[in-house]
Amino acid sequence: MDLETISARLSALQEAGLAAIAGATDPEGLETVQVAYLGRKGELKTLLGGIGALPAEDRPHVGAIGNRVREALEAALDARRLELDAAALDARLAREAVDVTLPGRPFRRGSLHPLIETNREIARVFGQFGFVVYEGPEVETDVRNFQALNIPPDHPARDLWDTLYTDMPGYLLRTHTSPGQIHVMQQAAPPIRALLPGRCFRYEAVDASHGFEFFQVEGLMVDEGTTMADLRGLLDAFAHAMFGGGRPTRFRPGYYPFTEPSVAFDVQCVICDGAGCPSCKRTGWMTILGAGMVHPVVLRNGGLDPERYQGFAFGMGTDRIAILRYGIDDIRMFIENDLRFLEQF
Amino acid sequence: MRVPLSWLREYVDVDLPPEALADRLTLLGMEVQGIERRGADWQRIVVGELLSVEPHPGSDHLLVTTVRTGPSEPLLTILTGASNVAAGQRVPVAVPGAVLPGGRRIEVTRMVGRESQGMLCSGDELGLTTDADGILILPSEAPVGAAMADVYGDVVLDVDVKPNRGDALSLLGLAREVAAATGARVRWPEIVLSESGELAADRLTVEVADERLCPRFVARRVDGLAIGPSPLLVQARLTAAGMRPVSNVVDASNYVMLELGKPIHTFDAAAIEGGRIIVRLARPGERLETLDHVERELSPDTLLIADPRGPLGLAGVMGGAASEVSDGTTAIVIESAVFDPVSIRRTAHRYALRSEASLRFEKGQETRLARIGADRVAQLVAAWSGGRVAPGRIDTAPEEPAPTRLPFRPSRVVRLLGAPIETGEMRALLARVEIETTTARQGDEVPIAAGMPGIVLDAASAGEALVAVIPTHRRDLEIEADVAEEIARVRGYDRIPGRLPETPMPVYRPDPRRAVDAIRDTLAGRGLDEVVTHALIGPADHERLGIPTEDPATIRVTNPLSVDHSQLRRSLLPGLTRVLVENERQRREDLALFEVGHVHERAGGEPREHSMLGVLLAGDQAGAAWNQPPRPADLWDVRGLVDSLCARLGIEVRHAVRAPSIAPYEHPGRTAVLQIGGPEGRAVELGRAFEPHPRYLESIGARATHVAVALLSLEALQEALRPSHRYVPFPRVPAVERDLAIVIGERQSAGEVERVVREAAAPLLRGLRLFDLYDGAPLAPGERSLAFRLTLQAADRTMTDDEIDAAVGKVVDALAGRLGARIRS
Ligand SMILES: [Zn+2]
Repeated sequence: MDLETISARLSALQEAGLAAIAGATDPEGLETVQVAYLGRKGELKTLLGGIGALPAEDRPHVGAIGNRVREALEAALDARRLELDAAALDARLAREAVDVTLPGRPFRRGSLHPLIETNREIARVFGQFGFVVYEGPEVETDVRNFQALNIPPDHPARDLWDTLYTDMPGYLLRTHTSPGQIHVMQQAAPPIRALLPGRCFRYEAVDASHGFEFFQVEGLMVDEGTTMADLRGLLDAFAHAMFGGGRPTRFRPGYYPFTEPSVAFDVQCVICDGAGCPSCKRTGWMTILGAGMVHPVVLRNGGLDPERYQGFAFGMGTDRIAILRYGIDDIRMFIENDLRFLEQF
Repeated sequence: MRVPLSWLREYVDVDLPPEALADRLTLLGMEVQGIERRGADWQRIVVGELLSVEPHPGSDHLLVTTVRTGPSEPLLTILTGASNVAAGQRVPVAVPGAVLPGGRRIEVTRMVGRESQGMLCSGDELGLTTDADGILILPSEAPVGAAMADVYGDVVLDVDVKPNRGDALSLLGLAREVAAATGARVRWPEIVLSESGELAADRLTVEVADERLCPRFVARRVDGLAIGPSPLLVQARLTAAGMRPVSNVVDASNYVMLELGKPIHTFDAAAIEGGRIIVRLARPGERLETLDHVERELSPDTLLIADPRGPLGLAGVMGGAASEVSDGTTAIVIESAVFDPVSIRRTAHRYALRSEASLRFEKGQETRLARIGADRVAQLVAAWSGGRVAPGRIDTAPEEPAPTRLPFRPSRVVRLLGAPIETGEMRALLARVEIETTTARQGDEVPIAAGMPGIVLDAASAGEALVAVIPTHRRDLEIEADVAEEIARVRGYDRIPGRLPETPMPVYRPDPRRAVDAIRDTLAGRGLDEVVTHALIGPADHERLGIPTEDPATIRVTNPLSVDHSQLRRSLLPGLTRVLVENERQRREDLALFEVGHVHERAGGEPREHSMLGVLLAGDQAGAAWNQPPRPADLWDVRGLVDSLCARLGIEVRHAVRAPSIAPYEHPGRTAVLQIGGPEGRAVELGRAFEPHPRYLESIGARATHVAVALLSLEALQEALRPSHRYVPFPRVPAVERDLAIVIGERQSAGEVERVVREAAAPLLRGLRLFDLYDGAPLAPGERSLAFRLTLQAADRTMTDDEIDAAVGKVVDALAGRLGARIRS
């Protein structure tokens, strides 16, 4: 073999190799081509193996040509490999395409009960004014539920609370959160700003606006100079937080044996904005809570000197606030726990 | 209390439209809860005059009348079945096109061959009286042709009189309130008696056995009366006020009760043996047939009106049938008494006889009304029944108390109300509710609270104090704060300015709800729905839990609304499962619920409340969809949920152990007791996680077959919460993982294996995860292989292979030594 022949063969090999590379359609085919041309037993090695038959002065020349051929093939291989990889990836992505309008994998939504959340919201509002939460028992003594609150046995005002009694003498199911006033006064010294949320019970037939179990929040503020004006100011702030700033409120006389003076607190009807509708019995007002200045007897029963200390208490039905807040028309929804209801909160 | 405005106007001028009056009363504390317009539903009903009344030739019970309804109106021929009509009478006529209450239309009709051009109305058809038997005969001065609504229509206010204002449970009392609101004057009815005949005292005596129970008893006698209906105006007023007219005598006492607030009873004088009235307590075994014709066995603390033969009536509550005024009565005895409010209240409650009278007695009575009421009833009975009032009253306590003096400090009123009110304004405001004020004297005592010594005024403070002279009808005004309320009330609560408190803030107190709210937020975030269920459940609910109906630890309600809500829940489970069943009815069967609530028990004679967290998972928990298969709820769902909740709260669930005893509602093989670390390393029981027993689910009517529940003690959770949360530095050196397949026998549990591994690998173990569980060949029957991945790490260095092998070796040895477990390689 002479130089010319070998050069021709090398360029033919390059031609053929480049053609084979271009013709490879997948990474495996390209690998085969690479092995066939550039492998240990590949065509280039084989051809260059015959180099020993050449005159010594020609050998470097042939070596250089061989290197060029190798580099050309390797470059072509790399380029083709990139091409093929890109195509393969494109093909894979194309295969992986989905209908993106299909729904996602479901997660449970979860919900918090509107009554408990309303209690929390009430606590949040009064919390801004320094009120802290206390808790009292659901099974109360007649003493704390009534007597300490200035409602002796056989007092006509007992008619205001239809009571459920227990088979434990002296114990009943608390009819309101007001006994919490006594609990707080007995365990904390003034200044007191306390909030007592809780479940209450009454002997009351169930309808859209009554239940024998319901929730209340009691508020108590006592120190030396707490006035009815403070009560008004705080209740206004609360009503505005709950039902929108600027909503008119009304302060009028009420009656509770444990407050004196006693107050009924109205907000302008949230349904008709004061125009008059069936929900507000056409008065334009809705009573949202009862309140008043803590009766001196109650302060005394709480261990405080009624000449030195004074303050106010209020009690509101969580159910009522929640009804107005969420626009619910039947309090039975709260205890039925229908998922179609719960899922809206 | 129902207040017909036409009646109210007898006692006070009212110039306001009803709505405005209602508003004023409401703002004064007499809340008007409704305004009823009587007569608004009388359409085309006019006053007519009967010109002729003749029998219907074709009928033996119909009458044919000719009716004039106005000077220029054509005469109407109207047939009626009533027999009480006569020519010359004036009657209500529904002319053709008229509409009666309830929407009934009156047109021209034919009856037995004759045309009837309208209808003559009864009092009942109009709702004006309750008499349905005959046509309503109007007074002869009723203007013919006038619309009935213009003559007899009325507006009735429904006023919610609070229990402390018994004095306002009357027209006169509410007239006082109107006067306070408008400045008008109150007019008392003119009470003038013309007495004749024998002295009342000659034929009537009253003995009161216990003056505390009956501080005053006034009696009068009226003779020669004829029982009949009371005047139409009276019947209409009573009807409008919600009372049924009965007869002139009974109506007179009801009229006075509504007018003055004084309940009064009348007896047939002939039924009182020897004219001797005795007020005493019942004797054992005594019986009485009351007006409602119920024979009652009398309990010995019942206050009675009696005669020498026996009980005549329940004092202040209900009369007896035998002494009832009836059609044949010709003489009556009027009882106008003051009774002990508590005694009356107890009697009314005991016999479930709460009446308008007992409601007023319970609130206490003004002493002088006993005298005034007796006179007023005698006057009205005489006027309406033609009777003669016997001269004189029998009165057991003629002396009437004077107004009380109530010293108060205007400065204290200002301090309480937070409104700057001048003393002069206070006096003027009090005068509007008939409370005069005078200056206070040194030594006067300001009452602060009942049962507590008052503040004695010294010379200086007396100069600034006032004395309110409380009229005897205002029994509710007793202490200084009452005067403050009265001032604020008459002035208008709405004039108290609102301001935010400037007084000192209380000391910080942690919110006891914080942990509970964190739990609620976490669970809702995990996709659970919060529920609130009844604290009162039924004995059947408890029975299904294996708690007998009569279980001594259950707290029962003695007066439940229904048996289904008669016991305080011992567990949250019945409430949660009820939510499951109710939602299954709506075809919602996949649920994840939780409730935070109290359970109750009786322990050592004391009620105990425990705060609990209940979780119930039912049905598919994965949320089956096109890309996800369902995963029915099981014990592992609820276990995992509790673990993750505790981890979120920084509490480690230390152990789950097989429950040593199983409740009837628990699956015997799928119930775990969960324990957490308590103080001093003790294990504290957190609660139980279980799948309910299939029979329990069946018993509550649940369709679900895959349910898992956790019932946890919130108290245990709250106690385990770390008071302060501290960051623990984590080692920066590499951790290694080693897998061990541990083979245990039937009697060993995964929990035991875990415990042994944790203890043996203790200082180096950073993580332990069970990643596979296998039983079957080649393991022996009953054997299981648990594949755990241990993550090991030293705090300060990279462990050598030798160290790691030694640690694992220690674990393997401990497993073999303590549990007989072997390692599968
Ligand atoms: Zn409205």
